[in-house]
Amino acid sequence: MMEWLSDNGLLLGLAVLDGLASAAAIFMVAVGLNLVFGVLRILNVAHGSLYAIGAYTAASLTAAMVAAGLPAWLSYPMLVIAAALVGVILGPLIERVLLKRVETQEPVLQLLVTFALFMILEDVQKLIWGVQPVSNETPMQLLGTVDVPFGADVIPFTAYQLFVLPGIALLTLVGLAWFMRRTLTGRVIVAVTTDREAATSQGIDAAKVTMLTFTFGAALAALGGALASPMTSMVPGIGASTIVLSFAVVATAGLGQIEGAALAAVMIGLGRSIAVYLEPELEVVIPYLIMVLVLLVRPQGLFGVTETRRI
Amino acid sequence: MLRLENVSVDIAGAPVLRGVNLAVPPGGRVALIGRNGAGKTTTLRALMGLLPVRGGNIVVDGQNCTGAPAYRRAALGIGYAPEERRLFGSFTVLENLRLPAEVLRLPQPEMARRLDLVLTLLPELRDFAPRKAAGLSGGQGKMVALGRALMVGTRAVLLDEPFQGLAPALAQRYAEALARLRDALPDVAILITESSPALLRQLVEQTFVIERGEILDPADALTD
Repeated sequence: MMEWLSDNGLLLGLAVLDGLASAAAIFMVAVGLNLVFGVLRILNVAHGSLYAIGAYTAASLTAAMVAAGLPAWLSYPMLVIAAALVGVILGPLIERVLLKRVETQEPVLQLLVTFALFMILEDVQKLIWGVQPVSNETPMQLLGTVDVPFGADVIPFTAYQLFVLPGIALLTLVGLAWFMRRTLTGRVIVAVTTDREAATSQGIDAAKVTMLTFTFGAALAALGGALASPMTSMVPGIGASTIVLSFAVVATAGLGQIEGAALAAVMIGLGRSIAVYLEPELEVVIPYLIMVLVLLVRPQGLFGVTETRRI
Repeated sequence: MLRLENVSVDIAGAPVLRGVNLAVPPGGRVALIGRNGAGKTTTLRALMGLLPVRGGNIVVDGQNCTGAPAYRRAALGIGYAPEERRLFGSFTVLENLRLPAEVLRLPQPEMARRLDLVLTLLPELRDFAPRKAAGLSGGQGKMVALGRALMVGTRAVLLDEPFQGLAPALAQRYAEALARLRDALPDVAILITESSPALLRQLVEQTFVIERGEILDPADALTD
């Protein structure tokens, strides 16, 4: 055991740091997916496309900014601006034009509609950004690397992945939990999520709340993508792998959970990155293995509450 | 105050209300009696705008509200306590009571005044105020649902089978609360549905009977 650790310890440390960084991005996407499912009761497969488009948009905006000779630190606000743009433009468009029309339809049909949208957006993405890898290195390079002490050794790790990404994710976690519990808008979203008709009788315009929440959820997916953009290269298909991962996070945590989603994202992020370093063949399987194990013991997810019966 | 004119409602393609005519005068106390499935809940949901109406008009204060969005009913001063309570379980009782007033953006003093009034009419709510609504018993929940309806129901409250499933002692307390309500707020119209008229005899001035989606002629209804 000790021998194995001294051989692989450094790798394990690196895997943990990597896992935490990717968990931060997955958390943002998953929490957005969760919010959207809460108000719409539709599992939005195209949520992964919003992640991808957020990532590509951040790369394009940063590239344009660098080309215009603007200072490099502006690449950080650019990540947030990219996410806000994607959310505000695509969110209301998708919700009003597409999802609102299938509001009362069968769940299977709703799922198919969002799947179709996902396929369309995947092609739109190829039309705009092509199929060659796109990268967004400026935000990562600017902060350089930090030597993380690990036993007798040090692990050089990018400061962006170590501080910026988890920092923003943590801020999102705390901010969102506060927003949902302490502000009227947050409570109105919870009310519509819990019982749409009862919320309507309390004077809440559920259609408006749904659109706003969808836009917000879309922006969170795009923010996940934008924040992940400096550490991955964008290729076709990143949207698909993201939606599947964030679905695993939501299912593991339980619906409607914010803090739970953060913990599930960390579990799945760590599980995946440790697999990458130790048993790369297992990387793809690990998230679902975690999900299946949790759901076998707690079908409602780690933190999900079973719906109380009304009568 | 509230008027249904020849209202027909279909649910999943089947007619549930067939030309219902019903009027509640300002400050009136009206009962709507009928068996399960007769259309009582549907009548209230149609009044609240929660169901699409196939024909007829819904008039509130002389204003035709037939196609108006359901969320505007609260602003018109109509409170609704559905049969299954439908409280928000993750909120405290106090948060449940305050929510409709906050959504309507009532000024702070007005909100405090209404809350005080509700807590005076339903004193047991003071004890539950800090508790999560999910932890309440069915009867306690019914009291909270009545209180919540009163927070916005300055013109009318619609109570759907409030006595259904209440233990006798609680039913008694609920009836007392309704009697206090009648004395304290004579301008608020009340429309109550029930399957048996016996419980409401003391509380209402006028009774409509609904059967298979139609309001019976008063002459036929008196045979009970």
